[in-house]
Amino acid sequence: MATTVAAPSVTGKAHKYESGIWSWLATTDHKRIGQLYMYTAIAWFVIGGIEALFIRSQLYGPNGRLVSADTYNQLFTMHGTTMIFMAIMPLSAAFFNLLIPLQIGARDVAFPRLNAFSYWVFLAGSVFMNVSWLIHAAPDGGWFAYAPLNTRQFNPGVNMDFWVIGLQILGLSSLAAGFNFVTTIINMRAPGMHFMRMPVFTWAAFVTQFLIILAFPIITVAVTFLLFDRFFGTNFYEIAAGADPLLWQHLFWLFGHPEVYILILPAFGLVSEVLPTFSRKPLFGYPVMVYSLILIAFLGFGVWAHHMFAVGMGPVADSIFSVTTMLIAIPTGVKIFNWLGTMWGGNLSFKTPMLFGIGLVGLFTIGGISGVMHSSPPSDLMQTDSYFIVAHFHYVLFGGSMMGLFAGVYYYFPKMTGRMMSEPLGKWHFWLTFIGMNLAFFPMHFAGLNGMPRRIWSYDANQGWDFDNHLSTYGAFIIAFATAIFLYNFLRSRGHGALAGNNPWDAPTIEWSMPSPPPDYNYAKIPTVTSRYPMWPQQGPTPLSPPVPTAGGDQPLPTYQTAEQLGIHMPTPTIKPLLATMGLTLAFVGLIWHRQIPIILLGGAIFIVSLYAWVLTPLEPEH
Amino acid sequence: MATAVAEHHAEHHYTSTGLPHTKIAIWAFIGSECFFFASLISTYLIYKGRSVVGPFPHTPWTDPSTGHVYHPILNIPVTSTSTFVLLMSSLAMVLAHAAVERSDHKWSRIWLLTTAALGATFLGFQAFEFTSFVHEGLKITTNLFGSTFFITTGFHGAHVTAGVLWLITMYFIDKKRGLGPRDAVNVDVMALYWHFVDVVWVAIFTFLYLLQ
Amino acid sequence: MTGFHRARRTVYAALTPVFVLGLAACAGFPDTIFGAHSEIGRTEDRLTYLLLILGGLVFVLVEGALIWALIKFRSKPNATTPKQTHGNTTLEITWTLIPAVILAVIAVPSVRTIFETQAAAAAGSLQVDVIGHQWWWEFRYPQYKITTANELYLPVGRTASFTLRTDDVIHSFWIPQLAGKRDVVHKERPNYLWFTPDSAGAWNGFCAEYCGTSHSNMRFRVFTVSPEQFAAWVKHQQTGPAFPATAATPQPDTSKKGATPAPSPAATATLASDTNTATYPRDQLPTWTVPATPLPADEHFDESTIAKADPARGAQIFKTAACIGCHTIQGVSPGIIGPNLTHVGSRTTIGAGLYPNDMKHLTMWIKDARLMKPGSIMPPMGKGLPEAMGAFDDQQIADLAAYLSSLK
Repeated sequence: MATTVAAPSVTGKAHKYESGIWSWLATTDHKRIGQLYMYTAIAWFVIGGIEALFIRSQLYGPNGRLVSADTYNQLFTMHGTTMIFMAIMPLSAAFFNLLIPLQIGARDVAFPRLNAFSYWVFLAGSVFMNVSWLIHAAPDGGWFAYAPLNTRQFNPGVNMDFWVIGLQILGLSSLAAGFNFVTTIINMRAPGMHFMRMPVFTWAAFVTQFLIILAFPIITVAVTFLLFDRFFGTNFYEIAAGADPLLWQHLFWLFGHPEVYILILPAFGLVSEVLPTFSRKPLFGYPVMVYSLILIAFLGFGVWAHHMFAVGMGPVADSIFSVTTMLIAIPTGVKIFNWLGTMWGGNLSFKTPMLFGIGLVGLFTIGGISGVMHSSPPSDLMQTDSYFIVAHFHYVLFGGSMMGLFAGVYYYFPKMTGRMMSEPLGKWHFWLTFIGMNLAFFPMHFAGLNGMPRRIWSYDANQGWDFDNHLSTYGAFIIAFATAIFLYNFLRSRGHGALAGNNPWDAPTIEWSMPSPPPDYNYAKIPTVTSRYPMWPQQGPTPLSPPVPTAGGDQPLPTYQTAEQLGIHMPTPTIKPLLATMGLTLAFVGLIWHRQIPIILLGGAIFIVSLYAWVLTPLEPEH
Repeated sequence: MATAVAEHHAEHHYTSTGLPHTKIAIWAFIGSECFFFASLISTYLIYKGRSVVGPFPHTPWTDPSTGHVYHPILNIPVTSTSTFVLLMSSLAMVLAHAAVERSDHKWSRIWLLTTAALGATFLGFQAFEFTSFVHEGLKITTNLFGSTFFITTGFHGAHVTAGVLWLITMYFIDKKRGLGPRDAVNVDVMALYWHFVDVVWVAIFTFLYLLQ
Repeated sequence: MTGFHRARRTVYAALTPVFVLGLAACAGFPDTIFGAHSEIGRTEDRLTYLLLILGGLVFVLVEGALIWALIKFRSKPNATTPKQTHGNTTLEITWTLIPAVILAVIAVPSVRTIFETQAAAAAGSLQVDVIGHQWWWEFRYPQYKITTANELYLPVGRTASFTLRTDDVIHSFWIPQLAGKRDVVHKERPNYLWFTPDSAGAWNGFCAEYCGTSHSNMRFRVFTVSPEQFAAWVKHQQTGPAFPATAATPQPDTSKKGATPAPSPAATATLASDTNTATYPRDQLPTWTVPATPLPADEHFDESTIAKADPARGAQIFKTAACIGCHTIQGVSPGIIGPNLTHVGSRTTIGAGLYPNDMKHLTMWIKDARLMKPGSIMPPMGKGLPEAMGAFDDQQIADLAAYLSSLK
């Protein structure tokens, strides 16, 4: 409990930077950037979801003709790309931003302006890619964009140009954020916050950053090759020039499999925070949970070719990747068992975050089991590229990642905004999502085992797939309805939720010691940490009572002493990261828009000038 | 990497490792860059010998349609010289760093400028090499060798260019207010980057030029 | 080793009820991977069953434990602080080892099956060269010098050994009822797949790798027939086109009753492969192999022309039209971009399994293939259509269709 917090003081001034759009454009505050990530990611989640509804409506029955084949191909490409790169990853990034400095007892991230840059670049990249919808030329090569279908010869339009450049921009954002968070976690832990005392979410985030900084360079190279092929006529994927179409697949999955863990580990981390709080028990086997994270990440680089069992790698390679894939199931299984161990013997209260956390444990298990089924190549040859795979990764990514991230949203919303989200609406959201997601994705197992291939715009009658597809479509619309409830709850609770207080869930970790929302400087005095769960007494927490706050929705948030009053130096707000992003984006716009050299040069110049102006200005005012 | 220069004010604060943030970040960056260049060099090696048409790196090629004979493209003696120049720049970098640490402004400026000049010389060699290759009939679009060769060495050249700009910026900062021990960290970070770029070149030189 | 084999037999014996269930289940599921009709398919199925059973076991145990915990340890009134356990080394080692053992049980048969199924095909196998095109399948039988498209004939009981190449992008060759899929990746360096069909029937095949606009419309049919029927089919395919290629004046073909240049009855019927014992009997096609793809709403064809269609006129048109640039008809045209049409009349579908092969669909296909199949490379032939490569009125198109239909 050795933490000192800013005493809420009614006499203190409200944060003077708090209003106006300018304050958001120029912010370097990790909490604000985290919120920007969260709002943007939720917006893309909704758009990716609308794409999914089109897909499901098209596939409702045989020979659907709601959208054209070309539009359908754009829809499923952008659904995958959006959900992976613009919804799940940035939603995870929102939590990295919101939580890492709070959980390790720091004022901000190591490089606050680089952090702002990461967000703006993400926003620019995601908007860039989606602008393609306006001219009905959205990317249509699949999120995996296999060569040579992704080359100019087979995809002459601008569709894949948007994808190539958009992904390049998004990758830059992830990389910049990765260096930042690695540095933050290694170097900004409060006194006493040893590695083995770090909250498990921070651990998951830490491991994820390593995956990002090591996996993204590989996709950067793959995509750069493609960009050069498409724009400058190089030969990397040019079959006639002797290129091997499998080069793309190897590079892509060398990135792509670690990417799977980039998508799931943050959710694992969030659930590892949620389950102990609502079980009133510490996480079972903390060291093993940490080691298994590291092991999963390490093995994650050695299993990529299990996405390629059908390409004819030969029996030796198939066997090796089969066995490594099975190995990675072991640390993953250990995590599931340890979560069960956490709940076992506990005192479980089923608040909304807990429901979503339990949802992850239950549903990810299904995705994990079907994942092991794919690890056996002969069996996988029957499953791969069928709807069975679609079922599998939706259990992993929706049942796993999204459930965990929703758990995180409900759990940390009070910390982020100072107000509670509605519990009844949250429970409606959970149960409808749970029912909808199982209705949507479980029948896909049967459709796949009954021979329905993936990525098909339309299927014939009499194939025995109609019923499964009906169910999936109903499920998708139930998820959509649930998400509408969530959006209402999320948006309304920001202004009208019950006042949260510092620690509404009586949670154990250090971020709950500070006021909600935290002051811009976070900790008035950097805390000294003496245990893994500083907010819980040695003998363990009391049951979660009185129940979480439900009143005070009409009252204003508390205010605190300002940084000036406390003599804390804060970074100067700056729009230079935003300017640098705009320059960078402009250069890419020039490239895709008939290769306008002047525009490319202008964008490049703006980028470099902003970068110089940025790095030559000190972070904080001179003192 | 460039952010390293200005975030140094945060470094008055406590850090868990005792090291400045920029130093941790540059190591993370270098780790990432290793995978970047490893992917590029691997692609070169995977595509080695698979070009359908010449010219080739180490063997002559006769164009069957024109009968024109293309000489082997790579010129090892020239590139060995530029490799030597780049390696010498690392030495100059070490001397610059030492000079900054002892606040020896005269020599810090000399060595910073020398490092930048050697880097620029290397880039000059590369520009000469590229133009002569194009002149001899190898463009980035010619064949797999051209594509993989130019993109790998080109990205390395871009890294050297960024390094030279960084060095020159440092030189001007030194000239304006003099770099002292409190700037040593920033020079250190720059030096790490510079040495890394050198090491990458050694790998490229070995795998792209020397390996037949 | 023998001990292991005995254990394996026991496991499979125990799985038999599941096999039966699987077979029963496939009644309404014509493309199911279960109850496969080849030794390779069954080997793959056995592994899938093993995985399903072990997976089901893990599922029941984990979800059971989860639900049990949720009920038993739910917060009750007057609850006190639960015991603060931080872990249990024995327990954690146990639940690391148990999955490891389960995975070993999966790994051993998996690896063995990998090597078994990827061994060289038996000597004397039927060779089939498969070439994937956007978006149709070319099948060549090099031993018999046959080239056909989208319909594969295989003899029961003889191993079929496939050599898989692509002409453009990556495709994947998959017949769920016969074997697992294999990607069609390279132009030069083929992939291989073999299996031995063990029962006669008609099966659906699919492209299982996304390959562009009409990926979903890249289907094919597989007919497994008796060796005698197969020999008859081969013999038939090896003969020249049914409609005399050199005929300047129309001559009767086998299905024709009269020899007048009047409209051919064959042209008006749904294709009468029933008169031809060499091809799969049309009236015995299972429903799931008869396409029900709706016609594009915005394409119109004057069907009254079909009754007046004349294959002889069609043959003349074919020879002078753009058709010959892309399609081969033995002795007539050498094109190789589109499917070989020498015996197109004997096929049950057109457009890679997309439409039934009858006059109605064939005429509309010729008139505007791109409306019939999104992204089709074949340009429209109808008069006045955008990007049309021909300028044929509906009667001429009906004649063309009649000619092609007569090519049994």
